[in-house]
Amino acid sequence: MARTLRRLTPLAGALPLVLLWALPLLLSLAITAASASDTQAWRALLAHPQLFPALFLSMFTGLAATLTALLLTLIILAGFQGTALWHRLQACAAAGLAVPHLAFAIGFGFLIMPSGLLARLASGDASPPAWITVQDPWGLSLTAALAVKEIPFLLTAAFAALFRGDAARLMDQHARAAASLGHGKGSIFLRIIMPQLLAQLRWPLVIVFVYGATVVDMALVLGPTQPPTFAVVAWHALNDVEPAANRMGLAATLLLTAILAMAILTVHGLLHASRDMQRRFLTAGPSALPAPRIGAGIIAVIISALLLLSIFLLLPLSAAPRWPWPGILPPLTGGTAWATLAASPAPLLLSLGLSLAVSAVSILIAVLWLETQPEARDRWLLWLALLSLAVPQLAVAGGQYRLFLDVGLGGKLAGLFLAHLSLALAYVMIVLSGPYRGFDGRYMKAARALHASPASALIRVKLPLLKAPLLTASAIGFAVSIVQYVPAQLIAAGRFATLPMEAVTLSSGGSRPLTAAYALALTLPPLAAFLLAGIVGRPRWR
Amino acid sequence: MTFSLTRRALASLAALAPFIGAARAEEDWAAIEAQAKGQTVYFNAWAGSPQINAYIAWVAEVLKERHGITLEHVKLQDTGEAVRRVRDEVTAGKPGSVDLIWINGENFRVMKQEKLLFGPFAGRLPNFALVDVSGKPTTIIDFAEPTDGFEAPWGMAQLTFFGDGQKLATPPLSMMDLLQLAKTQPGRITYPAPPDFHGTTFVKQVLVETIRDKALLDRPTDKAGFTDAAKPMFDYLDALHPHLWREGKQFPPSQAQQKQMLADGELLMALTFNPNEPANLVASGELPATTFAWQNSGGTIGNTHFVAIPINAQAGAAAQVVANFLMSAEAQARKADLDIWGDPTVLDVKKLPPAEQALFKSGDVPGGVRFPADAIPEPHGSWVPLIEAAWLERFGA
Repeated sequence: MARTLRRLTPLAGALPLVLLWALPLLLSLAITAASASDTQAWRALLAHPQLFPALFLSMFTGLAATLTALLLTLIILAGFQGTALWHRLQACAAAGLAVPHLAFAIGFGFLIMPSGLLARLASGDASPPAWITVQDPWGLSLTAALAVKEIPFLLTAAFAALFRGDAARLMDQHARAAASLGHGKGSIFLRIIMPQLLAQLRWPLVIVFVYGATVVDMALVLGPTQPPTFAVVAWHALNDVEPAANRMGLAATLLLTAILAMAILTVHGLLHASRDMQRRFLTAGPSALPAPRIGAGIIAVIISALLLLSIFLLLPLSAAPRWPWPGILPPLTGGTAWATLAASPAPLLLSLGLSLAVSAVSILIAVLWLETQPEARDRWLLWLALLSLAVPQLAVAGGQYRLFLDVGLGGKLAGLFLAHLSLALAYVMIVLSGPYRGFDGRYMKAARALHASPASALIRVKLPLLKAPLLTASAIGFAVSIVQYVPAQLIAAGRFATLPMEAVTLSSGGSRPLTAAYALALTLPPLAAFLLAGIVGRPRWR
Repeated sequence: MTFSLTRRALASLAALAPFIGAARAEEDWAAIEAQAKGQTVYFNAWAGSPQINAYIAWVAEVLKERHGITLEHVKLQDTGEAVRRVRDEVTAGKPGSVDLIWINGENFRVMKQEKLLFGPFAGRLPNFALVDVSGKPTTIIDFAEPTDGFEAPWGMAQLTFFGDGQKLATPPLSMMDLLQLAKTQPGRITYPAPPDFHGTTFVKQVLVETIRDKALLDRPTDKAGFTDAAKPMFDYLDALHPHLWREGKQFPPSQAQQKQMLADGELLMALTFNPNEPANLVASGELPATTFAWQNSGGTIGNTHFVAIPINAQAGAAAQVVANFLMSAEAQARKADLDIWGDPTVLDVKKLPPAEQALFKSGDVPGGVRFPADAIPEPHGSWVPLIEAAWLERFGA
């Protein structure tokens, strides 16, 4: 295998990635950007009565959710570092990461809505209280849900950064040096670990921010309605039957992208300008600040409880057709929602097969690239991957749709596969490149010195040592792929009924039991993938 | 002599014409059925209801068995998805991915205007003769737009309200009654925000009940005419909104959510376009058996939903066979059955043979319409964008 690899190097090793992923992605983005010249669409957009309030809501929910998630993540990390629970925290974060956003939003919504579980526990009235929780005009419910849901993602990204290559050992040395200078555990985290960590969390934070400011499905469940967030305004316009409205929706997507980019650059600029202040803070003399153990514990418990409760609530919601106020438990009848789901297992099987294939091919293409290309070339590739995640998904999908239609991939399984691959491979490259490039080359040298062929050195030494990151990357690729709805609808012309396709179309009828049942069904495969990756990927010597 | 013979010949020919026409049509139809055999029809239809999905699956079984046609239900969240797809495919000159589409109103008007539809075909379908075009004029006029045979009627719809009889003893049978109810029960009434289809219909119903000159509604309008004619409508909404859920500053984004809020006890009533949906929801256990439905005493807005064939359909012949079967007494009766779907028929049941009439069951069921009223045709299509824009401007932010 390695000899074939060498013969392919370096051009052919890069070809699958360039042809199947980078090229279609760049073309899609170009097609979307090209549509920016329609002046009439821009005029219609600027005259839209919801433009400014909706934009403000989007920026507010995105920023507030990102900052809240970051702050809570840092407190959790500061409080748990060096404790026995540190490694368990990593497993919990992975499990939380596996929960699909929409599934969480539905459960979280039922928890806090005026007729929801908390209201039933708190109120004894004949009808639900007039709480302004879900769909509050300020977007606070949406912000809270986004913040809670993104904490596992930020924790996972932080763990990946902290354990990368020699980073862990180096940071440990720095921490010990600081401790001998009289710094407390909290001060060490604040002044040694956090600055290095934040530098590594830049892109994950950008992804969280863009996701929060552009999310549509969660905003429809939890977000304000008059006006809604800007992404919802754009989504409605893109879904209109009038081409003029569609063009306005595209303009809205581009405007949102531009404003997000500006916001990110502004934050970047502010951080850069305040370097001196940061340095003064970082070099301030020894402080005995302790680690925030209690605060971190309370936050971790609340976040886990919210995530768990929201998902567990889907069970009674899916089982009972009706849950009349003010019952704490639903009547024990029904199960029709699960019967509907069980009656058509084909979408589940198609989704499982498709996402397994997408995940496997993503890993294969990524390893092929990493084995044959010099590390310097990763840079632009990672930029493209991050860019594709940082651009609102509505914009990427629109361009992809035009492209695939023109080359005859619309309505085809191959088109569906490539569209899924686009997102999955981006995540896989981001997750895998660090650990892969950080691999200590001396192991391979030793293996070769012991007369192992390049192929057997790769298969018997390198890949097994990289088992954990490879499995994590596969699980992420799988989880990202299996919840995709837009490719099946837009690119495959709805001809391939995937599980999310079934879930989204059925949920448009508004049956909560069915929506909850499908949300749970969409939660289980990624959860299983992460658990499996965690168990199989555990180092044998631990 | 020659002349008279010719004249007689002509006269007899003229007398025969309808029969020749019928024979030709029968032959044509047989040819279409033959061509349809073995084709696959991608039927793009909203799929938000398991009952409707199951009904379409039944149609697929029958068509496979009797006509050798494979019917694939392409499940849509929103019909606009398929309209845009057809337009994009036609623009790109690509073969169509849609063979049959469940459609009406705005979507139909756009497709017809942009010449994205195959036809006229509806009048040529044998079962079209059974349709009650005089008693149910909306079967040939879709939101004030003549169908001209570019879509075949499938089912009837009429704006219907519903609530729980235990919490709402007397239903508001007019918009004025509704205002009184909202004043006594603040925060328990609302409607979906336009441009949601149901929300726009609610506002249209207000327009119909408040406008001074109803004759205006059948005619095209412009911004100035609309602003003047709709003033009583906005006066009414301004009076109503402060008493609505969240003081009329927020609205549920969809009918689906409003329905759920009724089931959860947050609201007193909800609305639907399928008069039998409340009965359906009682049957599936989503609403209590004490639920009942009503229509405003002066009549509520009603319309028809159809199936149409895109111009670039790959299985046009089979799509026509499907459309024809959907209009058959057998398929219509099953569709109208409350245990199956409960969608009212487009046929004139009284004109069917007794055996087929018997297929249409009727009777009082929990959740049924206790106060029925006549259907009022939709206002002319030009009113809709003006209503939606004005509503958004006033109440959207």
